[in-house]
Amino acid sequence: MSQTVTPRRTTRSSASALSSVPAAPKYRPKPSPRRQLLVTAAAGPKDYDSVGELLDALPCRRAQAMDLIRLLVPAPALPLMLYGGAATGKTRTLLLALTNLRPSQRLVYASLRSLPSPRALFASLLSQLGATSSSTFSRQRLPEKPSDFISALRNALTGIVSQGEVVYLVFDNLDVVRSWDKGDQLLTLLFRLHDLLQLPQVVLVYVSSATPDAYYSMTGSVEPNYVYFSDYTVDEARDILIRGHPNPKLYSSFLSVALKPLFRVTRRVDELSAVLEPLFNRYSEPLGDLKAVSDEGIKRRLFEHVQPHLAVALSETFSVPMRASMHEIKDSGSAGKGSAKRQLGGREGLSTELEFHMSMSAKYLLLSAFLSSRNPATLDAALFDSTGGSDNRKRKRKSSQASLDMKDTMAEEMLMKGPGTFPLERLLAIFQCITSVSEDKHEVECADNKEPESGMTDLMSDVLLQLSTLCNSNFLSKSRSCPLESSARYRSNIDEDLALKVARSVSFPLSKYMYRR
Amino acid sequence: MASSDDNTEFMIDMLRECGLAHKTIIFVLEEFDLFAQGKQRLLYSLLDAMQSLTSQAIVIGVSCRLDADQLLEKRVRSRFSHRKLIFLPSSVDSLQRLMEHLLMLPEDSHLPTKYVMEYNARVTSIFSDKKFKGILNSLTDSDATTSHILRFLFRVVSYMDMDSGLLSMQSFMNALSSMRRQPKMDSLQDLSILELYILVCMHRLEDKEHSSYNFTTIMKEYKSVQDAYRTSDNYSHTVCFRAFEHLLDRELISFADKKGKALEYRPVKLLISSHELAQSLKLNTTCPAVLQKLLDRERYM
Repeated sequence: MSQTVTPRRTTRSSASALSSVPAAPKYRPKPSPRRQLLVTAAAGPKDYDSVGELLDALPCRRAQAMDLIRLLVPAPALPLMLYGGAATGKTRTLLLALTNLRPSQRLVYASLRSLPSPRALFASLLSQLGATSSSTFSRQRLPEKPSDFISALRNALTGIVSQGEVVYLVFDNLDVVRSWDKGDQLLTLLFRLHDLLQLPQVVLVYVSSATPDAYYSMTGSVEPNYVYFSDYTVDEARDILIRGHPNPKLYSSFLSVALKPLFRVTRRVDELSAVLEPLFNRYSEPLGDLKAVSDEGIKRRLFEHVQPHLAVALSETFSVPMRASMHEIKDSGSAGKGSAKRQLGGREGLSTELEFHMSMSAKYLLLSAFLSSRNPATLDAALFDSTGGSDNRKRKRKSSQASLDMKDTMAEEMLMKGPGTFPLERLLAIFQCITSVSEDKHEVECADNKEPESGMTDLMSDVLLQLSTLCNSNFLSKSRSCPLESSARYRSNIDEDLALKVARSVSFPLSKYMYRR
Repeated sequence: MASSDDNTEFMIDMLRECGLAHKTIIFVLEEFDLFAQGKQRLLYSLLDAMQSLTSQAIVIGVSCRLDADQLLEKRVRSRFSHRKLIFLPSSVDSLQRLMEHLLMLPEDSHLPTKYVMEYNARVTSIFSDKKFKGILNSLTDSDATTSHILRFLFRVVSYMDMDSGLLSMQSFMNALSSMRRQPKMDSLQDLSILELYILVCMHRLEDKEHSSYNFTTIMKEYKSVQDAYRTSDNYSHTVCFRAFEHLLDRELISFADKKGKALEYRPVKLLISSHELAQSLKLNTTCPAVLQKLLDRERYM
């Protein structure tokens, strides 16, 4: 220890650094492990090969991989945090770097998204370190409190480290801990592990999708080094998507027309690949032989073929391929009670028909819920008179400026507040009205139809079952019940397009009943 | 598990025994401000136990907060001796001395002497360079704690040139730039065009003095912008909602209420400033010009 340094106030870190200089310098010998790496690298080309292989396996992540190598490989390393958006390759890069470059290390990996509680985290870490090897003690020795966990962890790690191994503790998906119960305590504990363990051969790595400013806390822990994983650019995304494709030439010509417009919507490679796959099948449909070399004429033809599908793909978020049985069901008509069977259908174009199957009573219930949410309760008497329909909806409208302004503000309010709530009785009343109207109409139209019409009037018990099904499928949601009346209030969640589709499928004149401001 | 009364009694007995045997006990409480939360029963019983004549003990509390002693209750503070040692962060000169001390290799190390001398000479020349003073000043301007300096040194050494094994000024500059990231600006650069549209629409709504707005009002604004400018970026409701959810994931926007109705109707707010948004649009090379125009319009209107 050099005594020529003038006496200054010793802070904690400098005291530990100075005191450990003769024995095992903690922060000092950055040159020596590097030197060793260099020496072994000079001795055999094995290390270089693995770096090259690593960079090959991680396309477009060269800078981040080099950063990781630089910051992780020397054993007494400060904690490290990788952060970036979703689907940017953080976990993959980290795990590949650790397993390829440093085979003589122990990797303890905990993904916090798959662990439900701090206790599960403690148990997972200790079991990976082999601490709970004796089965007799396994139940009692699972630590509950952080203090027990720290001592158990330290014991386990000291045992491993004394044999000369390096241990990497990886905490993945750290941002979910913030929403846990007592998540703040756990976060401060995890960030203080470096201080608490005081074991230089243990390196902590955190992976998170939230930026570092979500983790600043009041306690003075060692801040980790940060590595940022940015999202991919268009060219990088193209390189990644082409990799490993059986038909790179055709695929790259496809990507040159399809990728840019989709990239304007989302930059996440997983979402893009999900959308691009069916589009590519459409693109290569006209080509008989996929291996054929395509010239400009063929390319133009293929582009024209795929363009309408591309326009459709830009306006939807997912598409599920249609099943063949959908056609038969559509042909046989939608009559008949049945349980509300749902089948998602893909769209060839923007269809105006309902894509899934619902029973008649469920459809009417849904329409009554939509009307109850949309119309104010005072209109019910006018709209649903004894004939079940409203004939004179024309109301005299004042077109003064004041009323127009008021209408604008009320429209704004409606956008802000969302659909209104209604009690169960109002829903059932409207339902009765609507079904009685439709029954009359059906009796008139299908008078000579042999098929017995399902009795709408004696549906009361089924209606409540249908209501609970609709609630579970999130078409309706239950609101807070009014404290005065203590009856349940519901709210409809569907928008106007879906309501119109449902109304069209049962030939119900919905627009006559909707309240327009 | 023993109750706290049993524990206190045990402690008093132990203190008496140790006092009789002339052994001093030192209690060190780290993160002292955390002990001062709640009812402070531990502190009270500890300090109370030390009041007896036969005990030879001292309690030392260590904390990051300068006002840790103000957090004590009255009865605890009366037993506190009001002696405080304050550790100020080091001055720039002492930090530089610390850096020299840490980076220089000792002469008697097991590495070859020629390398050690070359390395030390290089490090000394870097330290006397004016650029280095500038780097040190900008480092200490933001954070002058020792741990920050140590992180910086770690980065510097990680940028060491692998062929020669020597440090250079470039390694110091690289380390400095890697310490100075702006995460929100980085996130803004990673957004797709549609997500930028949504942010610009939210900004316009805020400029129009809407006190609260939700996804449906943002969509209304988006549709009006599309009608006015007829851009090629007119997307459907579901696609826009997915982009909205991406923005929520990235924490560039967040909900303004705790828990409420459906996602489309809950009020949201921007978590980035208009300056950051304007800057990110300027830096974005693929951003359509109409977005810039929309943002600038609001400024001057």
